[in-house]
Amino acid sequence: MRAMLKIKDLKVSYGKLRVLKGVNLEIREGECVGVIGESGTGKTTLALSIMRLIGENDGANVGGEILYKGENLLKIEEEVLRKIRWNNISIVFQNKEDALNPVYSVLDQVKEPLIEKGVDKKEATERAIHFLTEVGLPSRCIKAYPHELSEGEKQRCLLAMALVNNPGFLILDEPVSSLDTTSKVEAIAKINALCRGRSLLVLTHDISSAAKLTDKIAVLYGGKIVELAATPLLLSSPRHPYTRGLLRSYPNMTTTKDLQGMKGRMEPVESGCSFYPRCTQAVDICRQVEPELKKVGERFLACHRGGIIPFLEIANLTKIFGSFKAIDSVSLTLYEGETLALVGESGAGKTTLAKSTVGILEPEKGEVYLEGKKVTQRDKKFYKKVQMIFQNPRESLSHRLNVLEAVREPLDIHNSGPIKEREKKVAKVLAEVELPSDGDFVEKYPHQLSGGEVQRVVVARALILNPKILVADEPTSSLDASVQAKIVKLLLSLQEKRGLGILFITHDIALARKVSDRLAVMLQGRIIEEGLSSKVVSNPSELYTKNLLQAASTLDVDVPNDRNLSKSWQKEISRSWSLQTE
Amino acid sequence: MHIRYWEKLEKDPFGKTGLILVIFFAVLAAVAPFATQNPTAQTPLIFKPPSITHPLGTNDVGQDIWSRLVWGARTSFLVGLGVGVLSTLLATLLGASAALIGGWYEEVVIRTVDALLVIPTVILVILIAAFITPSIWLLIVVISLFRWQGGARIIRAQTLSLRKSMHISAAKSFGASTSYILFRHIIPDLGPILVVSFIYSCRMAIFMEAGLAFIGISDPSVISWGKMMHHALNFYYLDVWKWWLLPTGMALSAFILSFTLLSYCLEEAMDPRLGEGNA
Repeated sequence: MRAMLKIKDLKVSYGKLRVLKGVNLEIREGECVGVIGESGTGKTTLALSIMRLIGENDGANVGGEILYKGENLLKIEEEVLRKIRWNNISIVFQNKEDALNPVYSVLDQVKEPLIEKGVDKKEATERAIHFLTEVGLPSRCIKAYPHELSEGEKQRCLLAMALVNNPGFLILDEPVSSLDTTSKVEAIAKINALCRGRSLLVLTHDISSAAKLTDKIAVLYGGKIVELAATPLLLSSPRHPYTRGLLRSYPNMTTTKDLQGMKGRMEPVESGCSFYPRCTQAVDICRQVEPELKKVGERFLACHRGGIIPFLEIANLTKIFGSFKAIDSVSLTLYEGETLALVGESGAGKTTLAKSTVGILEPEKGEVYLEGKKVTQRDKKFYKKVQMIFQNPRESLSHRLNVLEAVREPLDIHNSGPIKEREKKVAKVLAEVELPSDGDFVEKYPHQLSGGEVQRVVVARALILNPKILVADEPTSSLDASVQAKIVKLLLSLQEKRGLGILFITHDIALARKVSDRLAVMLQGRIIEEGLSSKVVSNPSELYTKNLLQAASTLDVDVPNDRNLSKSWQKEISRSWSLQTE
Repeated sequence: MHIRYWEKLEKDPFGKTGLILVIFFAVLAAVAPFATQNPTAQTPLIFKPPSITHPLGTNDVGQDIWSRLVWGARTSFLVGLGVGVLSTLLATLLGASAALIGGWYEEVVIRTVDALLVIPTVILVILIAAFITPSIWLLIVVISLFRWQGGARIIRAQTLSLRKSMHISAAKSFGASTSYILFRHIIPDLGPILVVSFIYSCRMAIFMEAGLAFIGISDPSVISWGKMMHHALNFYYLDVWKWWLLPTGMALSAFILSFTLLSYCLEEAMDPRLGEGNA
């Protein structure tokens, strides 16, 4: 496939404001490329630059090259360009109100490019009507004026207008974003049907429509492409922190985790990676040097750290108690800012795995890697990054220490800063877990606290060192649902703010699917199934996982009318259980 | 469960009595140089009954019995506290380190403890003391060397269970060193046991010192209640026992009783099942 359009180092700035900072993108013949990103990342500027609809007259400074079949659109004469516009490259504008002239009927407006091209009026009318019918505009609307049409109908007119000259390359700027859901589905189907064989550039913040329209997706942030990959790959396993943030904040029916945003807001940066102020894994180089878009495996990434880093890797960990293998060569990877839920019944080895990872138990075999480096001894440096919440919160607090002393203890061990400073940090972290930090409360002893309070004190204590990884062993098992919800929300908000990676150990798969990006199911010391939470939950491959899902809590009112039916169901369950344990 | 020793002592009548007695003897011992005459000065006034100048009369060589009684309290206190501290220290170090280090070291410590538990240490101390006639400091060391085994055993057991307890695992997961865990968690957690073992050792040591002095095995230059009773008994046919033997015996009994009461009260505090309504 030949390249249809090649964008090379496209830079657009308005005065000091740099909107595009060197975009490189290639669109091949017949290929559909999506560009996604928040509003303000420069999507529309990209579209307008390709059509050369912005220039010095608008105060824009455009640099770089846009090669259409080898010709630089930014350099060719206006005459030549005019022939290319609408005939070869056309655009469906984002703003429908402005794109349609209110004093002409839509038929006249769709006809316009044809007449401009030199087609005679009669034929032009016929072709315009043909295309308007093709895009699904009701015949009564064909001669209507724009203000008489609905949003969806206007959208169709614009599409017809773009298609009427049969161009090979189409730019769709937010083609469906203002439509309601059912019109959206229709519009996407129409676009897919009518644009087959043409090259498409879809600019949108609506990830779902990009997923249905495109072959590959480029993620634009701060005027640069940060990740570029085939659509299924990008959506199932985003590697740039921004892409992940974007997907997490996008409401959809596929993922099960609660919506999460990104810290901070989009702001222009002086140097370095545009995303570094919002990135939770940024290091010094990210602030200083702008990363280039490089090929990493099957995708292109612009990240100094090579995308989201695997923060904690567990490799072939085995722990034996006497003759009993509590965990049997378990391997897991926990990425930065990700929740990996570990689900399984009691006795499956979840806690042993957690303790062996953190170093409270000495595993017989296997390694743990932190940020790619093998952990040989667990010293203060290790524990500054990896913290654990123990299963039984009350027991994990010393009865001699009051709240202040208990939460301060990690700081005391790490000898960090003067006492006053430590106490300030304690007050801050207590506020984060929604506990009072006044004199009365911090002087209480564990036995004077309620279960929920104890749990939150333990969470506060694990967070005070500002760790990057939290191994949370049933962090909410002793709580009632309302407090549990608060704690879980807290952990997820910290994940958003600090990029906290959480190994969330629980027996409750219903909870796990709401908090985790990926889910691992453990049985008899082994990981039997691991994958995206949405996949594991909707399409489990193991019988045991299916059983777990069937036994999980629901709110469905389901009283079996037929007792025999329920008995047969029970039989089914117990049979599959016995199969599993054999 | 959090133990506030002070509150417990204040509330409990036994504890209160014990504490008051101990404080009383402590004050007595502290003011000895000011409240008494020279306890060793011999005068021609022998076997005098109590009077203003001699509150408890005088003994066979004309020494003031009251002064000797007060100075004797100092000796008892010194031996009691000395042995208490030293033997508890030994017990803690050996017991806790055995539990924490384990291996052959633990084996050696535990076998030594077993050996010391079956040997009748009182007789051993008497033999050694008779052989070397120790000074008061040496006596403290000798008694301590045979008084740590019981405590060590309990402390080892407690440390073993503490070592596995969750809050110590938690401290470890903050990066705490072994010494931090020992001094900031295990020893404070052992507190109740250490206090009781300390008081028990004190009591035993006071009793043993008095006993040794009573049977005549002690440094002759040291004033001791045991020795006073030993001398007083030589003159049982005179009236002097009323102000010589009786007050001394009562002082010794009261002193030992005070420690017993203290340990009784604190033991109850330590084990909530012994007390009523302790949460």
